[in-house]
Parts: sequence; structure tokens; C-alpha cells
Amino acid sequence: MTAPINRPQEGTLLELRNLRTHFSTARGVVRAVDGVSFTLDRGKSLGIVGESGSGKTILARSIMGLLPKRGTIRHGEVLYAGQDLASLGLKGMRKFWGQEMSMIFQDPMTSLNPLMRIGHQISEPLRVHLDMDKVNARATALKLLQDVGIPEPEKRLDQYPHELSGGMRQRAMIAIALACGPTLLFADEPTTALDVTVQAQILDLIQDQRRDRNMSVILVTHDLGVVAGHTDEIAVMYAGTLAEKASTTELFANRKHPYTEALLRSIPRLDQPSHTRLLAIGGRPPDLITPPTGCRFAPRCPYAEDKCRAEIPELEAASADHSFACWHPVGSPRWQSKQDELVSTGVLSASGGIA
Amino acid sequence: MRYFAQRFLQLVVVFLIVTFVTMVAIQAASKDPARDLAGPLNSTEARVEEIRKHYHLDRAYPIRYAYWLKNLVTVDLGNSPTLGASVRTLVGQRAPITLLLGLYSIVLALAISLPVAVYAAYRRDGPFDRFISGATFAAVSLPNIILAVLLGYFFATRWRIFPYAASKIWPWDNPGEHFKNVALPTVTLAVGLVAIFVRLLRSDLVNTLQSDFIVMARAKGLSPARILWRHALRSSLFSLMTSVALQFGGILGGAVVAEQIFALPGMGLLLFQAVQQKDLLVVQACAALFALAVVIINFAVDMLYAVVDPRIRHARALG
Repeated sequence: MTAPINRPQEGTLLELRNLRTHFSTARGVVRAVDGVSFTLDRGKSLGIVGESGSGKTILARSIMGLLPKRGTIRHGEVLYAGQDLASLGLKGMRKFWGQEMSMIFQDPMTSLNPLMRIGHQISEPLRVHLDMDKVNARATALKLLQDVGIPEPEKRLDQYPHELSGGMRQRAMIAIALACGPTLLFADEPTTALDVTVQAQILDLIQDQRRDRNMSVILVTHDLGVVAGHTDEIAVMYAGTLAEKASTTELFANRKHPYTEALLRSIPRLDQPSHTRLLAIGGRPPDLITPPTGCRFAPRCPYAEDKCRAEIPELEAASADHSFACWHPVGSPRWQSKQDELVSTGVLSASGGIA
Repeated sequence: MRYFAQRFLQLVVVFLIVTFVTMVAIQAASKDPARDLAGPLNSTEARVEEIRKHYHLDRAYPIRYAYWLKNLVTVDLGNSPTLGASVRTLVGQRAPITLLLGLYSIVLALAISLPVAVYAAYRRDGPFDRFISGATFAAVSLPNIILAVLLGYFFATRWRIFPYAASKIWPWDNPGEHFKNVALPTVTLAVGLVAIFVRLLRSDLVNTLQSDFIVMARAKGLSPARILWRHALRSSLFSLMTSVALQFGGILGGAVVAEQIFALPGMGLLLFQAVQQKDLLVVQACAALFALAVVIINFAVDMLYAVVDPRIRHARALG
């Protein structure tokens, strides 16, 4: 509807080259994102998965350039349609925000302005970026509310956020994010604050809109279940770095990184008998001020040895759609021997583990 | 609507308590209220007794108060023996200038503190913010009586921009002269207010600017000006509004000082003279009017909360 006419339909949209985002704090420099590289094609969706504190939200905000200025040090390149975003400056980014890239936040209750009518909040970017007049913007806002499936959209325009249910608020936020027809949509834990019954609807809505508008989507979540059915690719993040990146089907079928393996073992599965014990990952994520010298997962990894603790494994491509950063990936000889040990001591079941 | 009525009733009760306590305090401080009311000159015993009967000063306080209230409703508050005029005329002549003074100082203080606080919060911990933090601290610590003297010395005596002894000129008669005459008293009252308003609003704004919906507004690509004035400011107004209501009583107190120094014939000056000369009825009437003004401002601010925040409006509609 409002998309630029000459938008290319294919090819690379986003490329990250060794992106680092550090924060200087009283305790020291927090290396929240520490050397992340990947590419994202137009119209594709990528899930960034990691536990809290892994740097996934900071990564999304770094790409968008939406970080607090104070104490933030950002290195590396973010190429958007071939253009380095760092060269744009704040003024240039403001043109990008809302129009080229926009973001859906975790908690619609706090992310919507409580003192402003929904209709006004949707039409604001339309008026600022696309120079629409009041009448036009209102009509477009109504159309957007219909698109995101809010019941009685006409009535919602004049309501305030507190008058809407949680699911409706998140739909309203999606409407705001979609208003100017962005090319890249970030969704930062878009369903965490919602009821389970509403979560799937919201995720489906985001995917439907992605298909209709040929957007790229980056979905940030701690929940592998959320990305499983809703993204083309998955990047697993651990302690500020990417552990593994693969297409969704490849990752679930053929995981390589022990961290991914451990994540998958920690979620219940329908093909396991009920009351099967879930395997927790021992220990805690490392302190990002003084991260481990070698592989960051080594202190918690059952397969780690001296090399893991000394040398950082690079993220390397094993095949066209699969790369991982590990010295002893799933299926390697060391992994196999350790695996047998775990089975014989009864930690894992003989049928290939708890997973 | 129920909320409206409830608040209104509360404020009526506050008004009654304040005026009752003032009456008791004033009359209890006098050895013989009737003799004071008879005035210093023509105080024959017969006259004193006549006054005692007329104002029911031989009765208990609650009954005296009931009669006083009756007089208040009919706006017949007796005569001032010292100033030789009815209390109604005196207050009627003097009150508007003081209320205008209070209003001007609030408007001036808001006009200055809003942009200052917004910019200080936007550039938090920057040079401007630091300067403002120091300046407002100094202004808060400066007693307004000193400030009035300083202003008078520089702007009236030395540079002769404004008159020192202000005359009472109504804005509808000669607006230019009116503002010239009230300028120094207004500034005297406004300086302290600016300091309080800026500090309150800045700290609320700093908090608001950290909320999620501000990040969201940035992500929409809005300009900093729009984010500050349209999104952040409105959510940050509540302490400021409360403070305006609370400060209003203090402003009227400050007016007594400012009118005294600049010889502006307002309520402050009247009250001052009345207290000195034990003109009890005038003191009571002044106190009642001050109380009424404070109560009305508080009521207005209460209603304003609902205008600014739809959540309050809706909660009230339900309750």
C-alpha cells in the first residue's frame, strides 16, 4: 500500500560484519554483543534465539541503531541494502526508522503511549514520514487495524491502550510497526507478555504480514518453540556471540553446537513419554565483562577440553545453510565418546539421549 | 461525576475547617475581641457591648462561627473600625490585584520552567543541565524578601526600568502600566516557583524518557522535539500539577511579602495592616478568601488530572 515502488524483491537485504556492541559501566566494559556476522535475504525471516542476557535484544537494537548513546561503543558494519548504516548519522536513521525498519516490542502495555489514542499512535508515523493529512492517515490507520485483525477497528481508533486486551494491544503495536510499510521488521519477544492462547495468533499474524508485504523479519526470542514454525532460519546466540546458524529444518534435524543440543534437550517433547526428565544446562551464562578466553560455552559444555578453553572457535560454514562455532560439534569423535560415557552413567537414555 | 462530587465535598469541608480554625485562633489571641472591633477611638463601654451583641462575641465559638458563615453567605462581613470602610469594600478592592499577582507568577514560572526542564532532561548531565541544577538550587535557597530588595534596588532605584512603589492600575484600564507596576512583585514570586517547577519536571521527564514507549516513539522515526513535547511531557506533568496546587497557598503568603516591599495595595498589604491593628474581621475575611482560592485551585488541578490522563477519567467513570 505504501511500499516504495521500486523495491527489489530478492537478494541480500542485511549484512552484519563482525558487529560488536559494548557498554562501559562502573564495573567495566560489558561485551554484550561481541563479533556477530550474518546475512539476511529479502522476504526471509530469521529467529535469534538465546537465553536472557545472551545479547539478543541488544543485537537487534544495535542493528537498528536504537541504543542509548551514553556509554555505548559500537564497532563493525551493518550493511542495509549495501549501505553502511553507521554513515547515515542520527538524522538519516530517523528516516529509516518506521519507514525502512521498524520494531515490535515485548510489552505492549508499556510500549504504547498510555495517554494517546490508538488511532493517533498509528497515524503519527504516517503523517511524519509520508506527509499524509489527518483524514488520509486516519483512513490508513483504520485499514491497518483491519489488516492486523482487531475486532471493531473503527471503535479502537479512539480508544486508549488501557481499554484494549493484551492481544489487541500487541496487534495495535504491529499495526504501528507496519504503518509505513517497512522492509525489515524486528519483533523483540513479541509474545512473551501475552497469554499462551494469543501467542500463536500473533506469530501467525507477523508471518502472514511478512508474506503479504515481502518483508524480512528478525524474531528475537528465548523460546525455540516460538521460532520453530515461524522462521526460515535460526541463529542461536550465546554470551554475545553466535553459536550456530542454520535453516530451521536443518537446525532441528542436524544440530551441531552442544549449546543448541542442550537447549533442545531442555524443552519437553511430545514424542517422549510424559514425565521424562528434562535436562537443565548446568551453571550460568558467563559474565560479559570478563568472558572466558576460549569458547564461551566451554565452562558449561560436557564435551569441552583444553583447546576449547584456550581458543575461540570461529563461526564456520559446514554447508550452504548451516554454520556453527565449535571444536567438537555433535557427531564428532569426542562428542561420541562423551555421549557414550553419559549413557553408561545413566544421565542420558540409550535411545539417543533425552532429546 | 461521583468523583467530582466527592472531591467537591472534601474541599468544602477543608474550607470550613480552615476558616473555623482561623477564627478561633484570631479571636483567642485577642484579650477582648469586642473591644478590638470597636476600634481604638470611640470605644465607650456601651459601644463595646453593642458590638459584642452584634457579632455574638458573648457566645461559644461554634455559634459565633455559624453567624459568621451566615454573614459570609450574604457577603455582609461588617466594618473595619481602623480603615473606616466595610470589609466587603476593602477586600473587593484589594483581592483582585493579589489574585492576579499569584496568577501571573504561576504563568510566568510555567512559561520559563517548561522549556528549561525539557531541554535539561533531553541533555541530561550536560553543561546546561548542570548549570540549571546549580541555579535552581541557589534560587530555592534565596528568601524572597532578599530577592525583592535586590530586584527593587537594581530595576527600580538604579536602572529605573520599573517603579519601586507600585501603584494599583487595573489591566483593563491601562495594560502597559499595569504590567509595569506588577512586574517586580511578580518576578519576586516567580523565581522560587521556577526553581521548584524545573527541578520537579526535569526529574519526572528523565524518568519518562527511560520508558518503553519513548523507545517505541524513537523506533517510529519521530523527531526529538516531537518525542519530548508530544510524548514525554504529558506523562511527566503530574508532579508539576500537584505542585502548582500546593504552592498556591505559599504564593499568597509570598504576596504578603512582595506587596509589603513594593507597596502594592493588595490583599497582602491589607492583611498585614489588619493584623497589626487587630482588625479581626478583616483578618478573618482575608484568611477565608485565601483559603477559598487555594481550595478552588486544588479542585481545578484535580479535575485537570482527569483531562491529562484518560486512565483516571475511565477509572472514575467506572467508580
